[in-house]
Amino acid sequence: MDNVIFSSWNGKIVDNRKGKTSKAPKRADITLPKLPEEEKPLALMGWNGLVVMNPEADIVSLTLRYLKEIRKLSCGECSVCMIGIDRLLDIIGEMAKGEGSKADIAEMKAIIKQVCVNSKCGFGQSALFPVLDSIKFYKSDFLALIKGEKKLEDKDYSCTVTAPCMEACPARLDIPGYIELIKNNKFKESLDLIRENCILPGVVGRVCTHPCEDACVRKDIDEPVSIRLLKRAAADDDLQHGGSSLNGPQKEREERIAIIGAGPAGLAAAYNLRLMRYGVTIFESLPHVGGMAAVGIPEYRLPRDILNHEIDLIKRIGSELKVNTKVEKLSLKDLKKKGYNAVFVAVGAHIGTKIGAEGEDKGYEGFVDGVEFLRNLNLGEKVKPQKKVIVIGGGNTALDCARSCVRIGFNDVEIIYRRSRVEMPASDEEIEEAEKEGVKFNYLMTPVKILAKDGKVTGVECIKMKLGKPDESGRRRPVPIKGSEFTIDTDLIIPAIGQRSELPVIPDKEKIEITKWGTIKVDPITYMTDVEGVFAGGDCVTGPAIVIDALNTGNKVAKSIDCYLQGGSLARGITFEGVDLKKQMGRGFTVKAPAQGVGFLDVKERAGSFEEVEGGYISMEAMSEAQRCLRCYRVVVWEKAI
Amino acid sequence: MVTIVIDGRKVKAKENSTILENTQELNIDIPTLCFHNDLSSFGACRLCMVEVNTNGKWQLATSCNTPVEDGMEIRTDSDRVQESRKLTAELLYYKYPTTEAVREVARKLGVQTPEEKGEGHDCILCGLCVRTCREIVGVSALTFQDRGRGRDIDEPKIEFDPNSCIGCGSCAYVCPTGYVQMESVGDKRIIWNKVFNMVACKVCGRFFAPEDQLKYISKETNVPFDKLTTCTNCR
Repeated sequence: MDNVIFSSWNGKIVDNRKGKTSKAPKRADITLPKLPEEEKPLALMGWNGLVVMNPEADIVSLTLRYLKEIRKLSCGECSVCMIGIDRLLDIIGEMAKGEGSKADIAEMKAIIKQVCVNSKCGFGQSALFPVLDSIKFYKSDFLALIKGEKKLEDKDYSCTVTAPCMEACPARLDIPGYIELIKNNKFKESLDLIRENCILPGVVGRVCTHPCEDACVRKDIDEPVSIRLLKRAAADDDLQHGGSSLNGPQKEREERIAIIGAGPAGLAAAYNLRLMRYGVTIFESLPHVGGMAAVGIPEYRLPRDILNHEIDLIKRIGSELKVNTKVEKLSLKDLKKKGYNAVFVAVGAHIGTKIGAEGEDKGYEGFVDGVEFLRNLNLGEKVKPQKKVIVIGGGNTALDCARSCVRIGFNDVEIIYRRSRVEMPASDEEIEEAEKEGVKFNYLMTPVKILAKDGKVTGVECIKMKLGKPDESGRRRPVPIKGSEFTIDTDLIIPAIGQRSELPVIPDKEKIEITKWGTIKVDPITYMTDVEGVFAGGDCVTGPAIVIDALNTGNKVAKSIDCYLQGGSLARGITFEGVDLKKQMGRGFTVKAPAQGVGFLDVKERAGSFEEVEGGYISMEAMSEAQRCLRCYRVVVWEKAI
Repeated sequence: MVTIVIDGRKVKAKENSTILENTQELNIDIPTLCFHNDLSSFGACRLCMVEVNTNGKWQLATSCNTPVEDGMEIRTDSDRVQESRKLTAELLYYKYPTTEAVREVARKLGVQTPEEKGEGHDCILCGLCVRTCREIVGVSALTFQDRGRGRDIDEPKIEFDPNSCIGCGSCAYVCPTGYVQMESVGDKRIIWNKVFNMVACKVCGRFFAPEDQLKYISKETNVPFDKLTTCTNCR
């Protein structure tokens, strides 16, 4: 950031004020939260320090405002944090009334130090740290306040609250918030909070790859909080109590929106647009609603009644759903003629990527693409078990195919992957469960030729690989070992190395621009394509991603469509790119406590059955797991130029 | 059994026992406000601080919920421990100056407080009532009010769910400050502003328990309601 006058961010002192000598360069080489430039920020105060950009900034008033903001988040559950903040607020108030003294500054320091080492949670341990910096480095301003030479003023401020887990979540769910509600036995309120950003809580609570848990501060202490299972617990508890319904709109607007694709992105957009009182029609080419959640994820991971219940709620608030309706026949003009004011394209990525092996295009019997295999299976097609199946790929789709084959009754299920276990993109839980179920993993090999006899697959010729230098993805690139070809006999081959979209979606004169990666090109903020009024999002824009990514896009597209139709612009807030949210200047002692486990379906019972494998928490277990959350809320307050 | 060192004394401790359990056995006096032997530890009042040596560094830790580990070194009376307890007591006293339970503990830890008994009955959010209701009674009629992001509540408090409460009065019994009050007049009992009908003992005629409580016990134990309408004295 340019023109930093003073910074204590990350504990690194940069002081360029008059009369101060600082070895640090004028431009601070620290990664700060990025503030919206149009607000012309003067100074910011956050959990990790104080940063001053403009000499006009009023640090004492900023400190007061920051204290007021963190006071709102202090839970009062331990005696030092909330009372400590109250005392600090009172001391500043006394100073402003002319009742303060120099000794108050020492008392403030003592209180802050006490709260930081003594608080129960991560919030209390970190929130007051920057206040220590302001009274240390801007002491003269506080002394001026005591002497009556300065007044407290309410300037123009903005405030944001986040947490390491929240920043890691694509949809920025208020994770500490919904966990706290569970801790307090308020499952219904917790679910309401989850639904604000995630309209498929039971689905995401089962299938999410939970980037939040990787960002959990507890991961470095013992184990991350089981955030995904807690979300599931909120959804399960609701179902056990009969299932709540969603609040639909009372009045209707005239404008109607067409959504193409009833996957998570389309459903999230439909839900949010309905809340904004728009008429919504979703066109779905398949006979089932749910997109990849319905036809890509096997039932043993996501029971259909859970998915259907959550879809049903969205239907019941007045979203019109047309299944078995491919939009190809409709052009964009037709849609507009039919009275749709905007179109959201969210068709997903349902076509498998080619593996580059000889013979893959020959249409052999016994060669089925992974997404097609799962789709057929989920649409009710009976697959005859054979002796052996080879699944090609190392992602979750490959694992889903392999584990489904175990359930269908294949004797021998093998995965071949061109890199090693470390580089495998599938989640660890999936790999472990697959191993328990008897799936055999073959690493460092790739198929070069599909072998067939009389049009039917008999085997696959592979070549061995070794790992070379890391590629753009950071993973080591696999390199074929010359002359290492060998053959594996098999009855069925399922390639599952990636997916792409079936494009173009709408054959129209004004074609929607497609990128060289075969995805739809959109504006990164508004999600609008180069055709006005046509928006796109989800897998068909990003390539294959996780459910929560698609839900996030759907939420945002709804807001963007609203702005487009009503005239308005999307607010650009603070961003934390490159900022280490886990880091906190103070860290008290945290009692170690392992995560609450859940039961799994006995391995012996898994073959021949698509029954759900992973169990959930009962309410007491969920409440006890929720106790583990360290509540690492991070607050940033900044003063804006008026 | 594991071996731990408390204030330089080597002692045997049960695995997974807490530091506080062990100091209690050694009759070491550690102040607490939110602790109860029959309830799960909560670590809310921050008064039971001790120092624990972790990787060569002495860290403050709440003794009530920190389990012992083999070889753990603990200091219960260092300057830092005393200073920490006193500062916490000062903060508590600042917030609840008239509440006797707070005054008493503050006085004990060297905070200047008036000699006379405090007349206030503030809720200090120790959570004893919440835990008693949940863990001992098993009905969860009391919860902490949620104070998360965007909920802007000035003073957090305990929320009461009249639909779950059975009127047993355990919360009033366990409350250290007298905030939870229970009033019994004739065939009525009032607690958290809810009025309960009391049942008279079949034998002596004394109103001895709320009807809702007996119904709850009957439901939980499958003992017919009629069998429960004799008071403990006459049984």
